[in-house]
Amino acid sequence: MSRRSRLLAVLCAAAALGGCGVGPGKSPAGPIGLTVTGDFGTRPYLSLPGARVEGADTVMRVLQRNAKVGTRFGGDFVQSINGVAGGHVAGRPVDWFFFVNGIQSKKGASAVDVHGGDRIWWDRRDWGVTPDVPAVVGSFPEPFVHGTGGKRLPVRVECDDPRAGACDVVAKKLIALGVPAGRSTISHSAADNTLRVIVGPWSELRGNDAEAQSLDDGPKASGVFARFDASAQHLDVLDGRGRVVRTLGAATGLVAATSEKKREPVWFVTGTDKAGVDSAAAAFDEKLLHNRFALAIAQGLPMDLPAEVAAG
Amino acid sequence: MSAPASPLRAARAPVVAAYACALVTAVLTFEHPLALAALGVAIIGAGVLAGCGRSLARGALFGLPFALMIALVNPLVAREGLHVVLRLGELGPLGQLDVTRESLVFGAVLGLRALLVVLAGGALLAATVNFDELLHVFRRISVRSALTAALAVRLVPVLGRDARRLADARRCRPDAGPRPNAAERLQIVRAVATGAMDRALDVAATLEVRGYATPTAAGGARRLPDPWSRHDLAFMAAAIALVVLAGGARLLGVAHFDAYPETVIHTGASEWILAAALVLVALLPFADRRGIT
Repeated sequence: MSRRSRLLAVLCAAAALGGCGVGPGKSPAGPIGLTVTGDFGTRPYLSLPGARVEGADTVMRVLQRNAKVGTRFGGDFVQSINGVAGGHVAGRPVDWFFFVNGIQSKKGASAVDVHGGDRIWWDRRDWGVTPDVPAVVGSFPEPFVHGTGGKRLPVRVECDDPRAGACDVVAKKLIALGVPAGRSTISHSAADNTLRVIVGPWSELRGNDAEAQSLDDGPKASGVFARFDASAQHLDVLDGRGRVVRTLGAATGLVAATSEKKREPVWFVTGTDKAGVDSAAAAFDEKLLHNRFALAIAQGLPMDLPAEVAAG
Repeated sequence: MSAPASPLRAARAPVVAAYACALVTAVLTFEHPLALAALGVAIIGAGVLAGCGRSLARGALFGLPFALMIALVNPLVAREGLHVVLRLGELGPLGQLDVTRESLVFGAVLGLRALLVVLAGGALLAATVNFDELLHVFRRISVRSALTAALAVRLVPVLGRDARRLADARRCRPDAGPRPNAAERLQIVRAVATGAMDRALDVAATLEVRGYATPTAAGGARRLPDPWSRHDLAFMAAAIALVVLAGGARLLGVAHFDAYPETVIHTGASEWILAAALVLVALLPFADRRGIT
């Protein structure tokens, strides 16, 4: 083999390994879910459990194959989906954002490849409070089942009391989904590539790590529109504009997810007290979490987070 | 060698300019390949019938690299289109790069448009319009602007002649080769550029001596306008008809073209009729050759 041929072979191999190739590439192995909603998941527009996909599609191409999409800035930014456009509504900025398996992407939709089993969720929402909602719970059982970027991630359930009923409920639900979840007490140093579900009353979880701190810092930091008070006995429920619309007392549960930079999401199954944590653990369920950014449970009743803005 | 006579050259300069501008407007109105092809035929046909086919060919040589660059760059920067033909993987700051059929088609359309604009708005206009006459018309609108443009137009060939003289002088040096190398060319350009200000001052002084500084002289003696010839009327009508056709087609959705996410080219009877009409309207004024020898 001549030197030139060898160089050519090396270049071809590098190109192939770098994801280069001719044609559309291989289609994902499993079905791709596509959900389009508005107002933090409360207004459903489109739900396709098996969206049309061709080849190695990106999130943008999957959306364009399955809905009428208006784009801007060279096709990187979604302006409208099926005629519902971003812009300003009642003086508030609203735009389309997307999550893959409940995790907000750091890249544009045309730069994110889809993988078998991914759940893509587009939501048009008010981003006046924050454009960053790093993780949501509404794609459950994702990201536990298919992970992120086509790779499953190790899952660990961390509990203030590993023998508590709530801890058991959460771990068993994950195992029932085929997710091999380890169980441990709450760690103070998170492994960056592990999906953690932290279970326990907020008074025990508070200040344990950066994610717990961001939840206390409010929606700007965590993307979760709820905040425990100083005593951790009350939960302030916020609306999409970041205003407190309700304060929930004893036996209030919360299921929420957030993540810090360059770390995998952390889910909180927590509450004001043991009863609250138990109700949150019971709500750790696909049906209840479906299309919700986060979920509060008060007196056994689920409540969307953020809370809907009252008319007027 | 004098330019061959043609109906377009017989028309007055503003009409020729309007005709070329109408062709450019029509080109910029459409993205539909059939309409653009028809306009390409119209522009080339107008160039050939006006006897400036060579100028158009030179213009094409100048415009073709631009057109090709646009056609090649678009697939690399456009993130749209559903049919991937080439996956280039992650390319640093460009991110994930997939070349799609749609971006290739739209790149070609944009390139063709750029080429046609160069041909109609550059080559055809430059080869057929009398710039002195055109600037004379603009003088009525803005004396200073027209004068500036006239000077600029005249200064370019003057500087060109200066450059040729300097190049001749360089060849007289005992150590000079028959053709200047890059460094020597740069020296000539620098010398010409340095002399440009002197030339401009000379021209300004000449104009002042000739009385251009006074408003009356600059405005020129008023004279009765020349009556419009049938060529003027024909080409003006063609220009208006081209703009109306393009605008009407746009309003009615004829020759609609969707580039993304999937290329949709509607090609029915209305598109063919429009294409024929564009060619016919643009070239019809050339049919009247009475008085053209």
